[in-house]
Order: sequence, then structure tokens, then C-alpha cells
Amino acid sequence: TKWAATRPKVSSHELALQNFDATYSMQFGELWPSVRVSLLSEQKYGALINNFSGDDTVTQLQSLGCRDFVASSLDMESGDAAQSISDDTCIHLSKVSISPNLRCFVFPKGDTSRFKAARQDSYGCLSYYLMDAASVLPVLALNVQKGQSVLDLCAAPGGKTLALLQTQTIRFLWVNDWSVSRMSRLQRTLLSYLPDQLCSEDKLHFTCFDGRKWQELGENTFDKVLVDVPCTTDRHSLVEESNNIFSRSRTKERQNLPLCQTQLLLSGLQAVRKGGEVVYSTCTLSQLQNQCVVEQAMKVAEQELGIYSEVVDLQPFTSLFKDTFNFAPDMNVGVMVLPHLTANFGPMYFCKLRRLT
Amino acid sequence: NRMLYSHVRDSRAPAQPHGCQLSSRTLLDLGFTETQAESVCEGVIKALGKRSDSYDMSTIMALLVLGLNSSSIVKIFDKSPGLYAEKGPVVQQRIQNLSKLGLVEGCIQRVISHYPQILIIPAKNVNTAVQFLKTKCLFTSQHVREILRDSPQVVEEDLNDVEYKFQYAYFRMGVKQPDMVKARLFKVDMEELRCRHCFLERRGFYQTPDKKGQTLIVNPKLKDFLAAPEEVYLAQFAKATKEELDVFRALLAREDKDEGIKEEYWRIE
Ligand SMILES: C[S@@+](CC[C@H](N)C(=O)[O-])C[C@H]1O[C@@H](n2cnc3c(N)ncnc32)[C@H](O)[C@@H]1O
Repeated sequence: TKWAATRPKVSSHELALQNFDATYSMQFGELWPSVRVSLLSEQKYGALINNFSGDDTVTQLQSLGCRDFVASSLDMESGDAAQSISDDTCIHLSKVSISPNLRCFVFPKGDTSRFKAARQDSYGCLSYYLMDAASVLPVLALNVQKGQSVLDLCAAPGGKTLALLQTQTIRFLWVNDWSVSRMSRLQRTLLSYLPDQLCSEDKLHFTCFDGRKWQELGENTFDKVLVDVPCTTDRHSLVEESNNIFSRSRTKERQNLPLCQTQLLLSGLQAVRKGGEVVYSTCTLSQLQNQCVVEQAMKVAEQELGIYSEVVDLQPFTSLFKDTFNFAPDMNVGVMVLPHLTANFGPMYFCKLRRLT
Repeated sequence: NRMLYSHVRDSRAPAQPHGCQLSSRTLLDLGFTETQAESVCEGVIKALGKRSDSYDMSTIMALLVLGLNSSSIVKIFDKSPGLYAEKGPVVQQRIQNLSKLGLVEGCIQRVISHYPQILIIPAKNVNTAVQFLKTKCLFTSQHVREILRDSPQVVEEDLNDVEYKFQYAYFRMGVKQPDMVKARLFKVDMEELRCRHCFLERRGFYQTPDKKGQTLIVNPKLKDFLAAPEEVYLAQFAKATKEELDVFRALLAREDKDEGIKEEYWRIE
């Protein structure tokens, strides 16, 4: 056995790492090494419970030592509130409303256990969906109320769509993704999790439009819009060579991302009704694709479309989940889940906007 | 005289096993204390059983001639009771072999005290390991002497494992032989070496040098971060918490188990 003294020509995942080293070490300073090693090591998953499955997975999962991070954060909230009613922050906390139907199990901090693949119940429904637990947060932040209509603008492969549907509060969900193949994958996924009657036309609508041109559809009355845009998918770009956004052939596309993301968020702001809310989310650490896009889209919406919006403070929201996730400090616009070996979720950036006019 | 009386009584103590009577006395004459002599006698009986009658003192003599004192010798046998069963002349020949390999005065005594098993291993095996280090890993004779001095257990290891560790340090980490010797590479477990190196690498503090031996960052010296106690390693080199390292160690072990460490992209064949 011999070791190669030289490496192959710089591969895409190495280009990605070089790019991240250059930008993120500036952006995160001393925090970067911890984020870096986490991105390069096995990520943690969460098991999103399928409420439409007949199996009692919850007891099984609990016996494995994991817990529903949503419910446990709510327990913590009520516990805190009972203990110190006079405390200012508790009044804040009690304002946060969280869908009680969303359940996502995770292993505790520092625990590296893995979930088994989900099993089918007697009706062929899968009991849970494995996903980055941080992906549940944008959905929770959207906080869909009973009877609301929701647009999922970039929905495939559908993890967040499935989470949205688990809330069981949505009157009507429009599911869109530009990619036809990814969209059909999403539909197959939903079919293995949902009973047929839930997939009826009047409740669920699937399209494959270019989300940047949403205004041409004139469908602009949604209560809530989720804009989960394509991005540099930092974790993926560091390990996967195929379909890597850092490959030289995709340079243009990569450089174009912030513009595309801004256009998608603008569509979201147009699609939501006055008073409605938009959550913008990505799985990159890049400021250019996160805060800058939000600020740019808000500015353009004001100046060119006359749509005014405000950033909703998610501080009370994230403080509920600080035992499960490692949130980046000092964010002025939006929230960032920073990967950390003891809680290796994310990266997940999300920001909530309320349309005012 | 009370002293004399007690001495006489002890040496006649009926509990003394017959076969060691003579040796026990001889040991006392050679400067062993009574407890030390007892411990040696018990060891001989445990190791040789009935054959303990015929135990000759040549191994002990050889060790004494080397300049090791009685308490060191007792410790040596405690660490490696198998040594009782070795024939004296064979042990002597192994000691000679070690000094032929260049372990000088002082050094040879240290090696034997720290790692007495080396006197149980056939000289042939020791020489094979030494040849291996010289021809396969291109260590000089001086390097090999230092390796034997600092990590004598290398002679007992599977040579494939030794080669693997060497190649890992050489190709994957870009460490040259003199620095491996300084870092006492062969003293450290492969898992620990890999864990400490990969943790630094993934945190961005270590790079594999390119063909010309160049890196974009200055790598820390192997001898500094490998031998350092864990707290020092964490604080000075990895700049991380113990929780992070513990999780990383578990994940890395699983990575190796899952995909087989040999599949990594920088390895040919
Ligand atoms: C980050 S993924 C969405 C992940 C998904 N929300 C989930 O949670 O599983 C981004 C998606 O945006 C889609 N996309 C890219 N450009 C688009 C566009 N112009 N309009 C609509 N969708 C687009 C891609 O096909 C991709 O599926």
C-alpha cells in the first residue's frame, strides 16, 4: 500500500473550502474553526414525526434517548414563566406562538447516535422524515395559523413542505419549484407520508414556475410565504463532488445567486397579502446570500414596487431553542444556526418579514 | 543480639519454599532485601512451577552486570513475569543484540526497565523490525536507535501497522523522518495520531504540503501537538473545547469504520 504524494487537480469541494476559508474566517473570526470542523464532519439529523402515520414511533424514539425539541422548548417556556412572572423576557417568551403539532425528535447535545431509516405503518405511510432539524425552524417561524393560505415558493425536495403540512392548520398550500424532476420527487415523497384526502386539489396545488416571475401569475393574497431559495448549500458543497455549485462550469450561476435570491424574495413579498408574513431561508453562511439579500429585496420592494415591510424580531423565538441549536451571536438581520460538533445542525439562515403595505 | 536472632529465625522460616531457599539466600547476598528476594522467589515459582528447582540465576546476574539494582530488577520481573521463564543465556544474547543495535550505556538500561518485554522477544524479531524501519521507512541507524530508546514496543507491533502509521505521517501529514523521531511518533496510538491531526486539519490549522512541500499556513510541529497533554493540545493548537474533541473522536472512529480508512482519496491502490 502506498500513499499518493500528490493530489488530483483542485476539485470542486476543495474550491468550496478555499472560498469558505477566505470569506467565513473574516465573517466569523474565532468562531470559524468550530464551524469549519463541523461542516466537514457528520451532520446531525432530526426525525420529523409524521402525524398521519398510525405507528407509535414517539415512544420508540423516546426509548432511544431522543426528545421532541419543539415540545421541550415549550415546556421550558411555561416552566420559566411560572418561576419568574415579573421577568421581562418571560413576557416576551409567552408572546411566541409555536405550532403544537410539529414534532421533531433529536438526540441531545453531544450525543452522536443516528436514527434508523423510517418504517412504513400498516397503511404504507412512513413514520418520520429525517432532515436537518434546523430546517424545521423556518417553518416554525412562519407560524401558520388555522385556516391560512401558504405559498412554498421553492419547495423541492419537500422537507419543509412536509413540515408545513404537519402543522395541520393550513387551509390551502401552493407548492412550487422550478425543477420538474425535483418537483416530481417531492410529490412522491408527500405521497408516502400523507393520506390521499389531504392531497386533494382544493388543499394542495403543485406548479413548476420560475419563482422570479411569480407576479405574472397575479396570485398575491397568501397569508404566509416561505422563500427557501437555492444557495451555495455549504455543507453539501464541501463533501459532494457531483453537481457542485463550486465547479468551474457553474461559476456564472454561483455568482448570480444573490441576484436570483433577491428576485425570489421580491416575488415572495409580492405574493403575500398586506399584514402577511414571509420567511426567507437558506442553508449557507454567506452574508451575501443572507442579510444582504434581505436588505436589498426590502429596498427594491420599497423603491420600485411601493411595498413596505419590516423585519420581525426572532430573538424571543430563538431563545426557546438555544438548548438544541447553536445560534450565531450578533446577527442584526435574521437568525443563523451555526453548526457545532455538539449540535451539528445547519447552517440555516432565516429571516421573517411582515408586509406593511 | 536481637538483630542476629531475627535474621536467623527468618532464614530458617519453614514457610520458605524449598526450591528457592538457596536462591533467596543468594539474592540476599547479592544485595536484595528480604521482601525483594521473596517477591523474586514467588515469581519464579509462579512462572516455572515444579521446574523452579532448576532455576538458575543467570538472567538476574546478567541484569546485575548491566548495572541495574535490585529494586529495578524486581520491577522488571513484576512488569514482565514471562522473563522468569526465559533461559539466561538467551536473555544475555538478546541484551548483546540490543547493544549491537547501538543502544549505549544508560540507554539500554532505560529501555529494559521501561519495556522488559524486549528481553522476551527473539533477537531475530527485533532485527526484522529494525531492518524494516531502515529499508521501508528509510530511517537512519541513529533514528532507529532513538526509536528503540523511546518506543521499544515498536518491535512487537504488526509491521503493517507500523508502515501504515509511518506512511500516514509521511504522506498525509508531510512529516519527515527526523521530525517523526523527535515527536516519538511510534509511541502514540494510530487513532490518537489521526484524531489529533484530522481535528487540526478540519479546523483549518493543518495542511498536507503540496508536491514541493509547501503549505498556505504554517503547520504546527508534530512533536509539539502530539506529545502535549490534551488540555494543552486543545488550548494551544486546536483552540477548541473538550466536548468538541470528544464528539469528534467518536465521529472519526465511526467514519473509519463506515468507509474504511483506506478508501480516502489521497491513497493509491
Ligand atoms: C434549497 S432548495 C429548497 C429546499 C426545500 N424547501 C426543502 O425544504 O426541502 C431550493 C429549490 O429552489 C428551486 N429553484 C431554483 N431556482 C428557482 C426558481 N427560479 N423558481 C423556483 N424554484 C427555484 C430548486 O429547484 C431547489 O429545489
